[in-house]
Amino acid sequence: MGGIALIEAQQEAELIYSRIVPLFTAQWHCQYRIDVVNDQYGQTFNFFMGIKRQNHRERSIPLHTLRTTDLAVLERVIVALQQQTQLSLNFVDFGHVRWPVSQRWIH
Amino acid sequence: MMDYRNEPHGLFFMIDNKSFYASVESVARGLNPLRSVIVVMSEADNTGSGLVLAASPMAKKLFGISNVSRQYEVPDDPRILVVPPRMNLYIQENLKINKIFREYVADDDLFPYSIDESILDMTKSWRLFGKTPESVARRIQLRIRREMGLYTTVGIGENPVQAKLALDLQAKHDHELIGRLTYETFPQYIWPITDLEKVWSIGRRTAAHLQRLGIHSMRDLAMVDPYALRAEMGLIGTQLFALAWGIDRSQLRQLRPAKEKSWSNSQVLPRDYQVQQEIELVIREIAQQTTSRMRHHHQQAGCVSLGIGFARAGEADDGRSGFHHSCRLDPTDNAQTIAATLLRLFRQHWEGQAIRNISVGLSRLNTSRGLQLDIFQDPHRQIKDERFDRVIDELRDRFGKTAVIPASSLMPGGTMLRRAALVGGHNGGNSFD
Repeated sequence: MGGIALIEAQQEAELIYSRIVPLFTAQWHCQYRIDVVNDQYGQTFNFFMGIKRQNHRERSIPLHTLRTTDLAVLERVIVALQQQTQLSLNFVDFGHVRWPVSQRWIH
Repeated sequence: MMDYRNEPHGLFFMIDNKSFYASVESVARGLNPLRSVIVVMSEADNTGSGLVLAASPMAKKLFGISNVSRQYEVPDDPRILVVPPRMNLYIQENLKINKIFREYVADDDLFPYSIDESILDMTKSWRLFGKTPESVARRIQLRIRREMGLYTTVGIGENPVQAKLALDLQAKHDHELIGRLTYETFPQYIWPITDLEKVWSIGRRTAAHLQRLGIHSMRDLAMVDPYALRAEMGLIGTQLFALAWGIDRSQLRQLRPAKEKSWSNSQVLPRDYQVQQEIELVIREIAQQTTSRMRHHHQQAGCVSLGIGFARAGEADDGRSGFHHSCRLDPTDNAQTIAATLLRLFRQHWEGQAIRNISVGLSRLNTSRGLQLDIFQDPHRQIKDERFDRVIDELRDRFGKTAVIPASSLMPGGTMLRRAALVGGHNGGNSFD
């Protein structure tokens, strides 16, 4: 079971990464950020790419939705994603909780 | 005064979602829909630089952004968050909301009105859920807020039109987001209105017409002689008079969707088209798509029509803004025949103007009962053509609209491939979410 979930996490991370690539154009004076939202209403984890150019409108582009509320699954996806990109991650609405495996605070 | 005793006295809720698309996008990002400054902007090919589909209440308030604003009208301010539309997500959310409504009314008493509005006939069920109509409305609002994070606005009336006006004219400005009209309170709240266009079903032209007749307020409209108004404006006159008195005799349950008498499709092109080959390519694509829709309903068309809208550049040297022509033909559901007829129409009437708008219509429909062979053509060829269309339809049903496409759609000017992913002309959202 764990094996299957691991493969899924890898695939999900790759899908997210493939959507980040065309959006990350590395411009000057521009902040790029991945928002990970704990959506309690939809019971999903939502991924967005935030693009903020100095003195311009901010843009937020949907990357993916994980249809689960299991933090362990999310942790695996995040670990897999961090192997591909070093963009900063911004966790929204997670409250004060720790990752199930690494036991670090989610922030 | 009007005698209302014989009018229907029910209890109707008209419920809409406050800035629906923007609110859904806010909730998905963990933002409060009433506090976020968010603009949903479509950047489909044919919207020019971009079109605002929805703006959150705060975006409207702080920056005066309204729906259908153009991208360049939206200030380049870092406080504004711009997001692309996800039409499929909004459809899903709308279905979820209507599912909640079904817990308050019988299925037969729920009438979805648009992607973010529904009419609920609460006449028989409201007493199960509260002491007053307002408390029931509040209960539904809180439920949707709790389960979906969205804010809803409720108009309450004794008939659908009162509910709609209560929603548009009162609830949207009420801090509880609830408004209520009855036959009794109607004159008090509605008659003072002088900006007639604000009232549902009165548009710019109707308002101007009423102004010319010396009708400058809803009170004037209510006091007019209905027979004179009917003589002047026709049936619409009678309807407007009823509107002014808050009368609506429609029985929603007996409404039947109009019998489909034609199939049509139109599109705004992403740029001005001037090359004949490119224009004809799009006409052929639209013809294909419309014919295929018709075939799904086992119908054949006896009349095709073509509408062409000129680009602004084309209007100037011509005066006309476009043309619309139709032509009879032997009933057919063959895409090639229909496309050929449309192209003939196009070539007859087009004089080289730049074009921005194309529409195709199929009418005089009858049920297709197999193939009527034409004695002047090779029968094997005709049967083969017929089977060809069916196979293409089946492939598209099973594997998606772009499973098989004419190679010509890859040529410059084709719009079919890019439009296939759109919903209602806008981005549907990520496909493998």
